[in-house]
Amino acid sequence: MHPSPAPEKLRTQPLPPSSPPQSGPARSRVVRGLLATLPFLPALVPAAIITGIVLSLVSAGLEANLGSSFFSFVWNPAQNHWGIGVFLVGSFLTAIPALVFSMAIGLGLGIASTSYLPAYLSRWLDPFVDLLAGIPSVVYGIWAYVTLAPYFQNSFNPWLNLHLGVIPGFGGRLPSTGGQGLPISIFILTLMALPITTLLIRDALRSVPRDLWESGLALGATRWEVVRHVAIPYSSRGVLSAALLGFGRAFGETVAVAMLIGGATTLPTSIYSTSNTIPATMFGLLDSARNNSHFLSALADMGLVLLAITLVVNILGRRLISSVYAYEMAGL
Amino acid sequence: MATVSAHAPGLAPDDVLTRSSGRLRWRTGFDTWMGWLLPLLFVVAIFPILDLVYYISSRAVPTLTWAILTNSDPTAIDALGVPIVTTFEIMVVATGLAVLLGVFGGVATAEFLSPGSAEWIRASANMLAGAPSVVVGYFGYIAFVTYFGWGLSYIAGVVTLSIFMTPYVFRTADLAFSSIPRPIREAALGSGARPSQYVVRVGAPIAFPQILTGVFLAMAIGVGETAPLVLTTTHGVIVPQTIYSPVSFLTGLIWSDFSSPANSGLQILAFQAAFLLMVIVVGLNIVVRFISARYRKRLEGLYQ
Repeated sequence: MHPSPAPEKLRTQPLPPSSPPQSGPARSRVVRGLLATLPFLPALVPAAIITGIVLSLVSAGLEANLGSSFFSFVWNPAQNHWGIGVFLVGSFLTAIPALVFSMAIGLGLGIASTSYLPAYLSRWLDPFVDLLAGIPSVVYGIWAYVTLAPYFQNSFNPWLNLHLGVIPGFGGRLPSTGGQGLPISIFILTLMALPITTLLIRDALRSVPRDLWESGLALGATRWEVVRHVAIPYSSRGVLSAALLGFGRAFGETVAVAMLIGGATTLPTSIYSTSNTIPATMFGLLDSARNNSHFLSALADMGLVLLAITLVVNILGRRLISSVYAYEMAGL
Repeated sequence: MATVSAHAPGLAPDDVLTRSSGRLRWRTGFDTWMGWLLPLLFVVAIFPILDLVYYISSRAVPTLTWAILTNSDPTAIDALGVPIVTTFEIMVVATGLAVLLGVFGGVATAEFLSPGSAEWIRASANMLAGAPSVVVGYFGYIAFVTYFGWGLSYIAGVVTLSIFMTPYVFRTADLAFSSIPRPIREAALGSGARPSQYVVRVGAPIAFPQILTGVFLAMAIGVGETAPLVLTTTHGVIVPQTIYSPVSFLTGLIWSDFSSPANSGLQILAFQAAFLLMVIVVGLNIVVRFISARYRKRLEGLYQ
């Protein structure tokens, strides 16, 4: 027989009375007060960095007086014209179509993997889309520049021109840009925003309670009708946050766009034109701005505008997400 | 007639099976079509990534030799030794700085701050993570390169990159400590541990794997970033000798050589750098998945 081990004897004696907090004679109240704040200090790091970024951009942006020329559509450093308008237009012309496409595809993928595909398939397919988020943007850039740009120049842009030429902006003479320009930038931004929109939409649809799906189906609705009339309205906050964060990603993307958009400093004349976005301009032109305080101020002011837009979009987008998984996701 | 209807919103009330089987056929047919069309979108999303991986590998791998990877001759065109070593150095130092800035901040936010002020700090970390990399690069240029007078240098680049990586480390450290089950914390504090003892002896071992995934994720994001380094450093040909040296790194090499004439030596070199970068990033992501899979098992054990 196995004798059960004897239970350890419980301590019955009372604990010694805890000594009152000692105030060491060497430490004054001030020193102790300062020591008490020490653990809190590291928590201030992100706030301090954000403050530093804003302050440094503001101070660099105020260094030279750009006058009213900053809020115009003319960019000509040689003649002291520092209009942000050209680049703002370029940014919205690339980010908004990219957002529309990536939301459309993201909704399709999210719906497919939550309600149409069997679980074993979506478990294999979803990580591929997530993988898109991990690829460095400079790798996207060189791939698109070498392989896709000739294709856009020789096939895609002429095809658009031929078939959609009746729409204003799509017709006219096709500029020879070597494939660089708005369409290829929109394509690459769609690809780069896709993992964010897909993941957030998928996550939002997954969070719809099972009861709702099943009661919809039990009432005789098809899967599509349950998605359309129950799941998407229920998860509309998640879908909206996907749109906002996807837009933030597309609007702030720098290097890939700088490689593909062509670096124009005038307004685009058609959708095939080269153009430039705010981040791509800041990235590409810092070298020529080093010894010109007006130039540097103009770029720092652009940085402030860019930061303001992306921060507003990000804050709004994040307020809508509650799930831990999205909070955890990289690159967001 | 305003009656309370039991049918799903948007469906006509009484056409389900009774009146019009044509409409029923249309509805189920539409559903079937969607069942085929929407999954096909995966092809749209996955084809580009397969093409990207295939194309870059097909350009880089046939010409990639051990000699190119280790060649550090500053005059040779087909040499990746210097950028590889420098990238590695930059990543180690920048990750170290980001861990220093991020982990302690995350722990302090999760453990020592009141919930209200922790929300503000978290919001600022999210803002920082959402800030475009070019803005962080400009901050580095304005603050470190010109204001601190470090010039375009290794140290300016490394510090800027570490600031870019900090919020990712911060958020995982914060999340790791906040998601430790409450009873464990209360048991530790209830049996007389000081908060600092709880953090070091109880919290850290539980949170460590998750913080590690955050650090590797931040590395994967940082190693692929171009703007913070390009804006704050200048191009070098040898491994940096001092903290003010010029540097050469993989993403910068791709950026400066991508538009070289097709199939020229420099463009092939850029493709090789891109290939290496992909291998590093995918490798780090695999490490992250591996750690977090193990971590999940461990955390499940905690709840039993």
